[in-house]
Amino acid sequence: MITAFIHKFSSPKSYVRVTAKLYPFFIVFGVSLLTLGWVWGLLFAPQDAVQGNSYRIIFLHVPSSIFAQIIYFFMSVCALMHLVWRVKLAAYLIKAAAPIGAMITFIALFSGSIWGIPTWGTWWQWDARITSTLILFIMYLGVLTLHGSFSNLEKADRLMSILVVVGVVNIPIIKKSVDWWSTLHQPASISVSGNTSIDPSMLYPLFTSVIGMGLTLISLGILTSHLYIFLREKNKKWVLKYV
Amino acid sequence: MLKLLRAESYKLRKKLRSWLGPLLIMLLVLIAFPLSIDISQFDLNKFYFSIIVVSLLMTSFVATEGMFEEDFEDGSLEQEFLVEKDFYKIVLSKIMIYVCMIGIPIGFIGSAFSFANGVDAEEFPKVFLLLTLSNLLLFNLFAFGNALSINKGAMLGILSTLPLTLPVIILLGRAVRTIQFGEGFFEILILMIGISLLVTAIMPLIISAALKTHLD
Repeated sequence: MITAFIHKFSSPKSYVRVTAKLYPFFIVFGVSLLTLGWVWGLLFAPQDAVQGNSYRIIFLHVPSSIFAQIIYFFMSVCALMHLVWRVKLAAYLIKAAAPIGAMITFIALFSGSIWGIPTWGTWWQWDARITSTLILFIMYLGVLTLHGSFSNLEKADRLMSILVVVGVVNIPIIKKSVDWWSTLHQPASISVSGNTSIDPSMLYPLFTSVIGMGLTLISLGILTSHLYIFLREKNKKWVLKYV
Repeated sequence: MLKLLRAESYKLRKKLRSWLGPLLIMLLVLIAFPLSIDISQFDLNKFYFSIIVVSLLMTSFVATEGMFEEDFEDGSLEQEFLVEKDFYKIVLSKIMIYVCMIGIPIGFIGSAFSFANGVDAEEFPKVFLLLTLSNLLLFNLFAFGNALSINKGAMLGILSTLPLTLPVIILLGRAVRTIQFGEGFFEILILMIGISLLVTAIMPLIISAALKTHLD
């Protein structure tokens, strides 16, 4: 039953049909939660005892950093599906997710640079976390460039998938960089195990921003994936219903 | 496998530009750099190792440029695949020959120039070992980039794999510091040997998957 479900859902036609129905919920909830999180964090959360108001960039920087890694991990799962089971939808999703990942990684780096000025007194530091995030950004660009270099798109999909799978080794390096090296970047303040060092008055708007950004990025991903699927499947009859 | 190694070494020996070029570039950078800075050179030993590391990166890239391109263009890659039926052995033998004929001499040159960094003669084997292991890692990674971009230009390959080579450079930088400060060398050497063995075992498999994609 699960295999049948995967086979059914992994067809581009089924994917477009299902996600077209889900898209309005993702975009409405995503934008609403993101707006709520940012307004709450920027206007109503208290000042930090050490950083004052400059810490408020956390509500942009942390969600974007989290999703920069999550998107690449998602791409690597899709890459494995494409390489092992030859699911072509997986390749389409990688191609759709890569520009979003690159954009969000750039936002993470840029917002981090802005935060660095009042906190560290510098725009940039060759710190383990920052350098590995820069490497991730270059990986996204490399994936896009590689795919765009080949006129044979099936070949491009396979090569892109191979590169994405190899590049996933960077994700645990980014995640653990603050633990493995003595870095300028602070260690994780939020822990899944429960030892969180952020006050709830700042934590709740942060969580809201993270969830809101996640839903917004999913809706963006749905849009870009639809666009790319229509481009690749343009010769199929079912595409005419949407275009 | 021995037959493949002999064939690859013969091919590389015939392409003088391919194996001598990177060695000359390494020599040129390491000689030219001190000449380009303050003649007093009192602070040279503080950062000369960084120059060795960066020139190692550059020469590894130049050495592996077009590693598979010629064989792909003239059809010999396809022929070898039909004969051997196993790209893994072909790729592994190619990388091994490149490391032996180019990587080890580069490591030797880099180690020799490390004397400019104020390194004692007794540290020479340690530096040589580190540079050779780094070459092994870099050659594997750049060969992967080459296999991805095969006939689309070397810059595409480097853009794809440069993010993977930067952690190698960071690791090499830390390893070099253990020699400078005199502690922790053995631990980092074991780490580098382990990573090198893992990469050397796995990367030819990934490279062969990329090459098969081009031939399909």
